[in-house]
Formats: sequence, structure tokens, C-alpha cells
Amino acid sequence: MVGVIETEALTRTFRDHVAVDGLDLAVEEGEIFGLLGPNGAGKTTTIRMLTTLLAPTSGRARVCGFDVSAQPQKVRRRIGYVMQSVPWQVNSLLSAREVLEIESSLHHVGRAAQKEMVDEALELVGLGQHADRLIKGFSGGMHKRLDIASGLLHRPRLLVLDEPTLGLDVQSRHRIWDYINQLRAEGVTILLATNYLDEADRLCNRLTIVDHGRTVVTGAPGDLKRAVGADVVQVATPTPDVVRAAVEREPWVSRIAQTDAEEVHVYVDDASAALPAMMRLSIERGISLHRITYTQPTLDDVFLLHTGRELREMEAAG
Amino acid sequence: MADQVLQRESVATSDDVSARARPRAEWMQEVLGLFRRWYLQLIRDRLNLVFSLTQPAIWLAFFGSAVGRAIDPDVIGTSDYLGFMLAGVVAFTVVTNAMSGAMPLLWDKEVGYLDKLLAMPIARSSLIVSRFLFQFALGTAQVVLVFFVALAVGVEIAAGPLGAISVLALAGLLSMCFTALFMALAYRVPTHGTFFAIAGFLTLPLVFLSNAFVPVDAMPGWMQVIARLNPLTYAIEAMRTLVLEGWTAEVPRALGVLAVFAIASLGIATLEFVRHTGERT
Repeated sequence: MVGVIETEALTRTFRDHVAVDGLDLAVEEGEIFGLLGPNGAGKTTTIRMLTTLLAPTSGRARVCGFDVSAQPQKVRRRIGYVMQSVPWQVNSLLSAREVLEIESSLHHVGRAAQKEMVDEALELVGLGQHADRLIKGFSGGMHKRLDIASGLLHRPRLLVLDEPTLGLDVQSRHRIWDYINQLRAEGVTILLATNYLDEADRLCNRLTIVDHGRTVVTGAPGDLKRAVGADVVQVATPTPDVVRAAVEREPWVSRIAQTDAEEVHVYVDDASAALPAMMRLSIERGISLHRITYTQPTLDDVFLLHTGRELREMEAAG
Repeated sequence: MADQVLQRESVATSDDVSARARPRAEWMQEVLGLFRRWYLQLIRDRLNLVFSLTQPAIWLAFFGSAVGRAIDPDVIGTSDYLGFMLAGVVAFTVVTNAMSGAMPLLWDKEVGYLDKLLAMPIARSSLIVSRFLFQFALGTAQVVLVFFVALAVGVEIAAGPLGAISVLALAGLLSMCFTALFMALAYRVPTHGTFFAIAGFLTLPLVFLSNAFVPVDAMPGWMQVIARLNPLTYAIEAMRTLVLEGWTAEVPRALGVLAVFAIASLGIATLEFVRHTGERT
């Protein structure tokens, strides 16, 4: 396998704040690789280093075989970069086609190939019929799609997507997920930074969970979830401590994690056996339950397992 | 000029070897692409276009003819106040243009589009050069328009058509100085607020502390000292001489002084740009 991104102890410090702390990444050709983590985990800083916009403080990063510090121009020729916020305002008076034509010139696409490539990119993101509209009339989702088209236009070996569905409505998110899946089918390697669990779960072949600039765990979403346990019983109760004490020693419990003041997650092998047992225990001991339910583990549980915190909550908080 | 920027820039940002040997064609393509972007933005912004093109001509026509009656010909050394004003209006146009010309760069920087551009395989210089050429083209159009208005209201250019072209050249050099300086400011400042505070603070004094509307000899002593250090003064003096008197030795001298100013400003702008983008790569 060929490494499209290889980093060794990649580190970036801003004054005394370590934004990215010794990150080792290995992204292979043709995969969608996720960088999943809460806001402030260092995802964008990592991306800025990989896209040659920021010099690493220490460590190394090679993108498409070239060192980002020593050969930035060679890296730039091979990547497409879709930024977190779409800076469309500065082009508001241009049409979608014009934006792409100009950007294709900046990628040195020859005049002969330009029209075809622009049309193709517009079609791919479903903007074909809006090609000649000024982009100031576009919705947020359309701006994002145009931005993705511009990242793809020159057929980069690596496409870097920084939070591609941030702030979009459900419908737009699903459309963008469809395009990303389509790209996977075409063999484009994608680095996808996100703090949406479902997005990472749905799209990524492999992912690295980052927190405080460090790798928490790396793997395929399925493997990571399987490592957590088979099922998660979520118990909402005013007295989580009592629930914990009650079930702690039961043989069918593999692990317990308290997720907030009124909720515990009990990791079990088989929820269909565990649920009645837990009901029985709570009746016997007079524990009051607000709610008891079970799910398959999610990436949130993976994050919880490795950091002791929930990603979901940090998202809501920050 | 373009080549100088290109070379200096690629050394400074330690681009790889192939970038230094970048085929000229690619660089041209980048500059043209960006130029098209600036052009389309202006042409679609009708009001902006109309105002920036006609404003200097309107200045000359209305302000010049009204104020001219209140001016003592002995002070300005000619009874042709419009002819006297012409150089001042051209200079004023150049300065305001230079300021507004840096604004798109400021927006690109502020909203993050500059980052997107910098992640593309373009020479850093093509950004500055494209904007520069664009401002140059726009400025020339304005000055030509001002000339037509001046001719229409009866100003005669003593140095003839060649003199008119020389005025254009002087305006071009002057525009290089200030466009570069305002670009440097745009890359230097943290926010657009700072840019406008500083630019607003500088622009009018810059014009009034030159001989745009009043000859240097008619100024108080301290003002004369400042006016003599102001590149505007040299450009205006030469342009005015061409309009009112014809060719004199002052013209090549002014061209020389301005060329020095222009090169210095361009150097500052390049340094600021490299400083702003260099830390990243």
C-alpha cells in the first residue's frame, strides 16, 4: 500500500499551547480516513500543516510522497482542500462556473480541458443547472457543494475535507455524504475531519480519534466499536451510583461508565439477557429508573472508553 | 518588475526547485485567472464601477470650475486653475484608488480565501502582480477619462500628446508607489478596522500635504518641508509642468524620484506579503 499521508510525531505549538502533539498518521491510497475529535482537538491545525498553510513546530509530514515543509509546491499540486467555512463572499459576484474556471486556471488546467473538467465537477455536486447563476444567491449547502467541486476540479490525489457538513441542514448533509461516497468509488483518497460521529461512522474506512492534539485510538469504525462491547444499556436514573453498585459485580457486565449526573452506560455482551436482569435488580433494590434502553455501541462510546468523556456533550458545549 | 517579484518571492518562501524553474506559461495563467476574478467583480458591481470611473472627472469638472473662481492666479502662477487642478485630481485619484485597490486583498485575507489560494500551486507573486496590473489598468482608464473631461472644458496640454502619455506614465509610477504601500498595509494589519483607521488617517493629509491644490511655495515653512518629502509632490509637479508649460528638466527628475519610491514601496509590499505568508510554509 502506498502512503498518501504519512506523519511522524507531527507537532505544532502556538506560544505555550500545544495544538497538535506528536501525531502519527498513515493514510493509504483510496481510503476515506477520518480525523474525529471535539472542537479544539487539533483537527484544523493538522489539516493546515498537511495543506502547507502552517509549518510544523517539529516532526514530519509527507503528503503524496513529498515533505510539506521542504516541497510545499509539489504537495499543493496534488491536493484539493475544502475549508471548514466557505469563504464565498469574496466571489459573490461571480457565477459558479466562473469561480471554477478561475480556480482551474490556478491549478494550471489547460484551456482545452477546462470546460470539460468544470462541467464534470459541477455535475458531480449537482450544480449543473445552476452553473451560470451568481453565487451570492446560493444557499449554504450549495456553497459547500461548489467548494467541494472546486476541491475536486483538478482531480487531486488527495482531497482534504474539513468539517464538510458543519452547519448544514439534514438534506444537504445527506447529499454531501452521497458525493463523498461517489468519490470513494472513484478511488479518490480523502482525509475527512469531523466532529460528527455519525458522519465519521458512515463514511470512513478508518479513522483516528484525536483529543488535545494527540491520537486517542486509530482503526476501522467497526473494529473500534466492537472493542467497546457488544451492546450498551443506557440507564437514566436519579441515583447512578446505586445502579453502578447494584450491577457492578454481575458476570454479564463487562464495563460501566457514568456519562453524566443522571446517566450510566452499562456495556454488556447481550442486551436481551441483561435488560430483564437489570429490571429485576432495580425492583429488588428499589432503584428508580427514568429510562432504560439499549443500543449498539457508537463512536461516542469509543471516545468515552478511551477518554472518559463523551464527544456528544463536548459538541453541545462547545 | 514581475520577474523581480517572482524571483525574490520564490527564494524567500523556499519553494521547491521546480517552482523556481516554473514555466512562465503557468505563471501567466495564474495572473490572468486572478486578473479575471478582479475584473468580473468590478464589472458586476455597477455602482462601484460607475463611481470609481467617473468620480475624478466629476471632481475636475465641478469642483475645479467652481473653486477656480475663488483662486488668486498670482498664488498658483497661472490663470488656468483647471489645468492646475488636473495634476492634483490625477494624484488624488491615484491615492484613493490605491486604497480601494488593496481592499479585495484585505477581504481575501480576512474571510480565509487567501488560505485557499495559498494551498493552491500558485506563485505567491501572481496574487500581488495580478492585483497590481488590475489597479494599473483601472487607474489608466480613470486618468484617460479625466483627460477627456479636461479637454472638453478647455484645458490644453502644453506638452502635447506625448506629454499626455508622460502624465499617464507618471500616474502609473505614482500608482505603483501607493498601491504597493496600501497592499503592504493590508497584509500587515490584523483586521480591516485597523486598515481603515490607518488608511483614513493617512490619505487626506497625504494629499493636502502635497502640492495637489496649492503650490508648495504658497505653503507655510513646516508644510513645505513635509510636502518636499511627499512622493505625490514630485509626481504632481511634473504632471503640472507638462500640462501648463511643456517639457522641462523637471520631468525626468520627477520620473527618477518616483521610480525610486516605486521600487522601495514594491519592496516593502513584497516583504510584508512574504512575512504574512512565509510563517505558514
